[in-house]
Amino acid sequence: MNPSAPGKQVLLLGLGNDILADDSIGLRVVQILRERRPPDPRLDFIDTCEMGLSLLDFIEGYRQVLLVDAVQTRQAPPGFIHEINVADLPTLPQYSPHFLGVGEVMALGRLLGLAMPEKFRIYAVEVADPFTVKTELTPIMEQALPGVLAHLDNALTEALKD
Amino acid sequence: MNPSAQKVWNEANQKANQGRRFTIDPITRLEGHGKIDIFLDAKGDVERAYLQIPELRGFEVFSLGRPAEEMPQITSRICGVCPTAHHMAATKALDDLYKVEPASAARKIRELVYNTFVMEDHALHVYVLGGPDFIVGPEAPPELRNIVGVIQKVGLEMGKTVISMRRRLREMIAYFGGKVIHPVMGLPGGVAKGLNPSDLGRFKELARDNQGFAATTLQVFKDIVLKNPEYVKMITSDGYTHKTHYMGLVDKNNKVNFYDGLIRVVDPTGKEFAKFPVQQYRDYVGEHVEPWSYIKFCYLKPLGWTGFDEGPKSSVYAVAPLARLNAADGMATPKAQKAYEEFYKTLGGKPVHHTLANHYARVVEMVYAAERIEELLNDPEIVSKEIRTIPTQKPTVGIGVVEAPRGTLFHHFETDDNGIVTKANLIVATQNNASRIAMSVDKAAKSLIHNGQVTEGLMNKVEMAFRAYDPCFGCATHTLPGHTPLWVRIFDPQRQLVQELIRG
Repeated sequence: MNPSAPGKQVLLLGLGNDILADDSIGLRVVQILRERRPPDPRLDFIDTCEMGLSLLDFIEGYRQVLLVDAVQTRQAPPGFIHEINVADLPTLPQYSPHFLGVGEVMALGRLLGLAMPEKFRIYAVEVADPFTVKTELTPIMEQALPGVLAHLDNALTEALKD
Repeated sequence: MNPSAQKVWNEANQKANQGRRFTIDPITRLEGHGKIDIFLDAKGDVERAYLQIPELRGFEVFSLGRPAEEMPQITSRICGVCPTAHHMAATKALDDLYKVEPASAARKIRELVYNTFVMEDHALHVYVLGGPDFIVGPEAPPELRNIVGVIQKVGLEMGKTVISMRRRLREMIAYFGGKVIHPVMGLPGGVAKGLNPSDLGRFKELARDNQGFAATTLQVFKDIVLKNPEYVKMITSDGYTHKTHYMGLVDKNNKVNFYDGLIRVVDPTGKEFAKFPVQQYRDYVGEHVEPWSYIKFCYLKPLGWTGFDEGPKSSVYAVAPLARLNAADGMATPKAQKAYEEFYKTLGGKPVHHTLANHYARVVEMVYAAERIEELLNDPEIVSKEIRTIPTQKPTVGIGVVEAPRGTLFHHFETDDNGIVTKANLIVATQNNASRIAMSVDKAAKSLIHNGQVTEGLMNKVEMAFRAYDPCFGCATHTLPGHTPLWVRIFDPQRQLVQELIRG
């Protein structure tokens, strides 16, 4: 799954759980944009339910990674996209060290001498219900989906110009 | 809520929100947030503190009307942390549902895959999740208490070995089941794919390397943890000790087994309290609900709910690595048996009641898993093509059990004559452990809160109390801010929220 061939530069990586209602938003965005966008040899799409250390296997070798995931802050309306540059994330946690986040995965990869992305941006989509076991989005997320797709579609176009 | 309580709540809420660090790391979902509710009595001392274990909504509704054969796939999709454990428990429930004995080679393949999963998951915890506490050290500066600090301590080469062993072990799981996260392997009476003899060589090579990895891990743990008197003192300290019952699967010789066997329960003196097949779990496992809470606290049904108490009369039990070692008479393989004996010698005899000993017990189990993987690959039957017994019986009720890395996992399905699910129930490891986790959190809170005054250090101490169990909140985080946020709510005797502490 890791690209060693030159030319594969940008990865759109969607995380989430496909049977936990809105938690699937990251997976859906990747699946839909994969179909919708014209094929581009520089661009790869991965949608996965894995997380933590497994991220290392996915991101290794890419120059740029755009990650889409669900988040619930209750401080923004469903569909709102919190954008974060991984460079701004704490790579070495001061508080609880007991899991691996994106910052730590990047730090670990570099320490082990693996090729880590130069650019890594997270698009955390505010969701309404990520806890109910079902395969459908909530109606409010369904409404917000086109906006989220347009946002990520543009972000990909910009990333490819880079 | 009355107006004055509302005012207090608003102020506390506002204050808590001011303190939030607005960073997002969605990968935090892995470990989840710890949500702790503390109830004060009239004097302002702690009446009771609880860790809230987030509940998955709608699982039964989602399962109803679906073919039972889908359950190994569906349940493995619920949780990204333990997919193989759910897949295997549901597969075994299907065997039971159709009253079919899995083909002998299929049973061995399942056990091989299962031990590989436990090995990989335990390695992740020893080095990545528990490592910062035990390998780097609880007193180490925060900037070193992370995976990078672990690698500095164990060496870059060991760090690379951890990552590469994990990858290779996962490749073997994927060989049999496709994606690790969504395995498609277990069928009632067998497995979907056998082992091609031409692939055996590379897996045997992996098994040999893996044995070396397990041996090195045991040595690393001894050198860094056990040779440090401060660590041993912390492990054996009263604050992290509870005398409860213990539960785990055992084979016919009462040795630890992750995949199959009878469920054995020992009392706080180590004496056998019960031994039963999973089909009788309803007779032994009760679920108690506190009136104010949605959490279900598991207890030993024959003893009745005795409250959050320890000792011989208490019906509280624990699961997970330490409980498994306590509930068994030993390990079924030679190196693991040696490590098992050393474990009890080091910690003062059996049973061990120190929650933090789970980390050490996990390493003993890694030694066993590594040996068992090699044994199974050396068994000529592992490449047999006879991997399925076709079920012929009408389905009714199917109950399955495995030892997930975090403890005993029950799956229970009932169907109509066509195998369509009419009832579904899961009891996951963290639920089995919920009562004892609550006791640990309570003990920490009681020592730190007096006369309504919350002392500093509450967060750390409380967090350590529940982290030792490695409770899995796999499906329930989605909170900003970033790092395993801890959310403590304090209620007055009228059950009004008076203080809220959020640390991200």
